[in-house]
Amino acid sequence: MVLEIQKPRPIWQIMFSTHHTDVGLLYLITSLAGLFMGGALALTIRLELFLPGSQIIADSMTFNRIFTVHGTTLIFLFILPFASAIGNYLIPIMVRYKDMAYPKLNAIAFWMIPPGFALVWLGFADFGWTAYAPYSVISAPGPAADMWIFGLKILGVSSILGAINFIVTILKCKHPDLPLSKIPLLAWAYLTSSLIMIVAMPTFAAALLMLLTDRLGVSGFFNPARGGDPIAYQHLFWFTFHPEVYVLVIPAIGFMYEIIPRFSRKPIFSHGSGVAAFILLSIVSFASWAHHMYATGMSFTEKTVFMVGTLAAVPASAMHVFNFLATMWGGRIRFATPMMWSVGGIALFFSAGAGGVVNTAMPLDFITHDSYWVVGHFHLFVMGTIAFGSFGFLYYIFPYVTGRMYNEKWGNIHFIVSFIGAVMVFFTQHVLGLYGMPRRIFDYPPFPEWVAMNQFASIGAMLLGIGAAIFLVNMIYSAAKGKEANMDDPWGIGGKYYYPYQQKNPHH
Amino acid sequence: MSHTEHIESIFRTSPERTAKMMAIVLGICIVGAAIFFGMWDYWTSAPPAAGKMSKAESATSIVPTGKEIPLSLAFVESSDFRTLAFNALPGESNNNPEIHANVGDKIIFDIVNNGKSFHAFGVTKDEEGFGSIISGSEVKSASNPLKPGESGQSQFIPSEEGSYYYICTVPGHREQGMQGKIIVGPKQSTETKTVQPTGVSHNFELNFVESSDFRTLAFNALPGEEGNNPEIRVKAGDAVTIKATNGGKSFHAFGVVTNPEDPNSLVWNSAINSASNPLKPGEFGEVTFTADTPGAYYYICTVPGHSIQGMQGKFTVE
Repeated sequence: MVLEIQKPRPIWQIMFSTHHTDVGLLYLITSLAGLFMGGALALTIRLELFLPGSQIIADSMTFNRIFTVHGTTLIFLFILPFASAIGNYLIPIMVRYKDMAYPKLNAIAFWMIPPGFALVWLGFADFGWTAYAPYSVISAPGPAADMWIFGLKILGVSSILGAINFIVTILKCKHPDLPLSKIPLLAWAYLTSSLIMIVAMPTFAAALLMLLTDRLGVSGFFNPARGGDPIAYQHLFWFTFHPEVYVLVIPAIGFMYEIIPRFSRKPIFSHGSGVAAFILLSIVSFASWAHHMYATGMSFTEKTVFMVGTLAAVPASAMHVFNFLATMWGGRIRFATPMMWSVGGIALFFSAGAGGVVNTAMPLDFITHDSYWVVGHFHLFVMGTIAFGSFGFLYYIFPYVTGRMYNEKWGNIHFIVSFIGAVMVFFTQHVLGLYGMPRRIFDYPPFPEWVAMNQFASIGAMLLGIGAAIFLVNMIYSAAKGKEANMDDPWGIGGKYYYPYQQKNPHH
Repeated sequence: MSHTEHIESIFRTSPERTAKMMAIVLGICIVGAAIFFGMWDYWTSAPPAAGKMSKAESATSIVPTGKEIPLSLAFVESSDFRTLAFNALPGESNNNPEIHANVGDKIIFDIVNNGKSFHAFGVTKDEEGFGSIISGSEVKSASNPLKPGESGQSQFIPSEEGSYYYICTVPGHREQGMQGKIIVGPKQSTETKTVQPTGVSHNFELNFVESSDFRTLAFNALPGEEGNNPEIRVKAGDAVTIKATNGGKSFHAFGVVTNPEDPNSLVWNSAINSASNPLKPGEFGEVTFTADTPGAYYYICTVPGHSIQGMQGKFTVE
């Protein structure tokens, strides 16, 4: 489990290894690079919006490029690789197999990420992470836009290969003594999210190819000048990326399923309901894509269908939340850093879900559509739930990866600062949306309410930035000179719960 | 399944290893940043081919009359922001002035934002909405509007008779009153043509042909064969009728131009179909026009790229 599985090796041996922990480490470092680079862009955006008018960004084109790469990076180069990193570390151990099912495929899936990373970051395309037609077809300047399309293509293939690997590892390589119903909920999370990925991702891969040939002028799928339909692109895009939201959030929920019982010193309240909720989420994730498109002139019937399909995700999500609460209830909770992140993540997950119910009600959607409400809602989910779960799990796995302990006090401060910051930014953005501020704007009229709320949100973003700086220093310093961790029980929790680095469950 | 359990000693990360890994990550980022910023202008230098084509298609052949109509417009708002208008609020004089022009006249707009909100200017043929703004007529846009006090200039040459509207392109502002009418009358020639029709008419037949690998395109016969891209010579004032047949397997369209590499430099309404609505294989079309000005012209296939591949011939007016 630890970084140095046998003995200290040259770094290039780790880089070109196919062992699951080595590939996991590569994924982890790449995803953290993505986190800090994408986060720096977020801070640039918030600084620009601190006051009306142009502050630090010269023109709106540069602003568009920045938020495009910000979104693309944090989704495809932070959240997804981070989930793959943790899966690589833990899934083979949880299903008690020596490695991933296809170690070389695993390494290939990782090594597709750096070229994708380079293409997205060198080009800096300007059409938003959604790349909506017709702008992306007839106006977005190349080669940046073409590089983004190729980069996403590569990252998409990488995700599909990773998903295949997880599914085969879990279903075919688990220990024969271990029934599928008994594998930990984190492994269930990876199984369901990988299944969603495999069904959803090829659609976007096809849409990207169509977009590319449209841009070259040899086809006209989405080009109205050639009889194409830009709305078709939105359908293809959201058919992939609404389920993709669940691909992002399900591993984060799985992380919480590892952390919460451990630090509550209680077994999980209901393993079965967790499994059921994962399966339910993976099915209903495909019934809601067009709720992103209510404003494109859909019929009342279609809107109703997608509204009901979206609301169907609420019970499944609530099952997870209640499962967490019931697990914590009556437990002797130890609020170590990973537990704080998980509990904070649950609180924000609940808030984001409540906002989502408002969004999916189609009459209300017309008020919030394309406003800052949407930005706030989406970010509350990805930052408040997914990134919080990921931060918690990174602190949780840190001693097992490095053999050293992170600084608990600075970990707590990171959480507190980030929690306050996240609430300040993303709750405020909801209200800004209701005050009419459209999303993706570079400049805004100096209405006093808008200015005040934007400044409040920007201060929150600075708090998130300060938290991230504390986190970075803590990680680097602790990896180099941190206290040596007690590998049997880093947090001194006691009890007989098995820790992920152990090869064998003590209950067996 | 193979699975071994053994007591292993624990190895922990060291400061040297951490520093090495950080150096690798930072090094990659610095090299990447050097490439990115070093080539800053390159990354957004090439507009997509699809966009270039649709621009080429939308441009029509307007012969400017040379007459210029200058016009100053100011965005104004009522104090409660509910009523918006150009120059003056409704009920006052000079509110949303109506413009009368003829096809080919150049209207020059001088736009200034005298309000407190953001505005942008454009001319459209649509009776409602803020889409399909005629290219060239816009001053800023809804996403990058004129701020209070700012001003800008644009021009517009109507290409057909009828009504156009000048509007504020910020969504909603047109409905609140920011729109005015441009009434375009028929083309009036300010000068009499130097050449009178001669009454002579010519008929030419042209055939689009392609080499089997589609790399070489030509009229009537491929290069090297007899009758390849025949030169057409007429006298100024002659009526010319062209019958173009698509004998190839691809899509083609016909036009007489001044620059063989630019399908937009079309003259005399000589087009048969267009790149967006081309002749399909086997179809043919006819056009009759008067070659009124002497000079050297070219007849080409107006589908972008085809004239460069060889579909062009000389058209000389004496």
